[in-house]
Amino acid sequence: MHFSPVPYLDPGSGSFIIQILIAVLLGLGVALRASWSKIKTYFGIKPKPEEEDDDSGDA
Amino acid sequence: MRKTGQLSASFRDPGGFLFSDNGILYRQINRAYSKDYARLMDSGLYDKLVKASLLIPHVETDQLPATSDAAFKVIQPERVPFISYPYEWSFSQLKDAALATLSIQKRALKLDMSLKDASAYNIQFVRGKAILIDTLSFEIYKEGQPWVAYKQFCQHFLAPLALMSYRDVRLSQLLRVYIDGVPLDLASELLPVKTKFNFGLLTHIHIHAGAQKRYSDKVVKLQTSGMSKQALTGLIESLENTIKKLTWKPAGTEWGDYYENTNYTDSAFEHKRRLVNEWALEKKPALVWDLGGNTGVFSRETAASGAFTVSFDIDPAAVEQNYRTVKSKKEQNVLPLVLDLTNPSPSLGWDNKERDSFDARGPVDMALALAVIHHLAISNNVPLPQLADFFASHCRRWLVIEFVPKSDSQVQKLLGSREDIFPNYTREGFETAFSSRFILNKTEPVRDSERTLYLMEAR
Repeated sequence: MHFSPVPYLDPGSGSFIIQILIAVLLGLGVALRASWSKIKTYFGIKPKPEEEDDDSGDA
Repeated sequence: MRKTGQLSASFRDPGGFLFSDNGILYRQINRAYSKDYARLMDSGLYDKLVKASLLIPHVETDQLPATSDAAFKVIQPERVPFISYPYEWSFSQLKDAALATLSIQKRALKLDMSLKDASAYNIQFVRGKAILIDTLSFEIYKEGQPWVAYKQFCQHFLAPLALMSYRDVRLSQLLRVYIDGVPLDLASELLPVKTKFNFGLLTHIHIHAGAQKRYSDKVVKLQTSGMSKQALTGLIESLENTIKKLTWKPAGTEWGDYYENTNYTDSAFEHKRRLVNEWALEKKPALVWDLGGNTGVFSRETAASGAFTVSFDIDPAAVEQNYRTVKSKKEQNVLPLVLDLTNPSPSLGWDNKERDSFDARGPVDMALALAVIHHLAISNNVPLPQLADFFASHCRRWLVIEFVPKSDSQVQKLLGSREDIFPNYTREGFETAFSSRFILNKTEPVRDSERTLYLMEAR
């Protein structure tokens, strides 16, 4: 019996590489957003409440 | 006689497959998938997704597996009332299917699972909502691994939605040609330049397509990425934001004005509605096809009688409006779909057996053909006896059909620009042609009009 950890879909080399790059960029964006809200808080600007995630209700 | 067989659309996944036994649909889970299935059930993910109407419910059964050597378990999923395909969905249906897929993936990641595929064909509309029907789509998430279904998601959902939104809604039909979704290089070429200024479309389609070309002959090991779960969640959220911003508003279509450009009086319209409602209540069909259903006014009359009603129309704007009504009124038994009756969905895919044709998904207990016969007989030149054959092959029992005579202004419009080569298109000609395949059960002149409504029973 072969218990394969290999995905049955071909993820595609290019798709594989590009999503890592995009995810790094998006990670940077998240970090920037966090610092920006810190700066705003420093100057007394209240950060906007985070949008309700539709997942949070029953998570 | 006991009849078993593996379903022809279910062969790619080594984790298991669908089979039917005596008309009941089962899913065999193979031993190779046992750990992932156990995680799905034990982590609480299954319960959460079913509660949120995002995953088809199932029960574990004692049914014998179809192939016993690899089998781990057999489950019986809830039966989907009608299988539809992405090339039959309106813009918002495809968008909701995409958002359901991403919502499932986000919930899965929270419980250390991930979708191993993101095929639009794994989503169906059940009780008015887009829901995943493939219980075996989940795998145990391994930290550092990118989303294996990213490419498939972009091809099945993002590319066609972007094309429909930015170019033309009819480009959904590319999904009929490309069974594994729209190739990203094609989407990139067809999308207007301005989409390169949209971060989501720039990255997930344009740059993605470029990377596919660049690395097409390179081998990349899946284990070597080190992509964090946070980064993966960021990727899913980026796809979600990109899709949420895609919109489509039918141009040149006045919302809600569909029936205002007809020649019905209110009393004719109401009379027709009442007749459809009465006949549906009397004959109690379980499954109805409304062929040429427009925005679904008459579909709702059969649905009100308890029948699951599939409302087909050629106009993507009408289907879009119909679907929005389903959503806003939380209707559970109307399914609007885009279909050209003169060229209905063929059977597609591997060995022409993966996706069923329109024809193979019938016949139904009752079909409605209201204000449609003149389009088929006159605009599409189909002779009346062939029309009778067509409807007979799709109706197991009942046909509610409206005859629209030549004197009707709608038919006059169709004949306005062409020669009248239809000497047999008369009420008598219609009744003679249809009598060979149907018993004319009821004949009702529609009040304040020249039209006639028939209830026919298949011979």
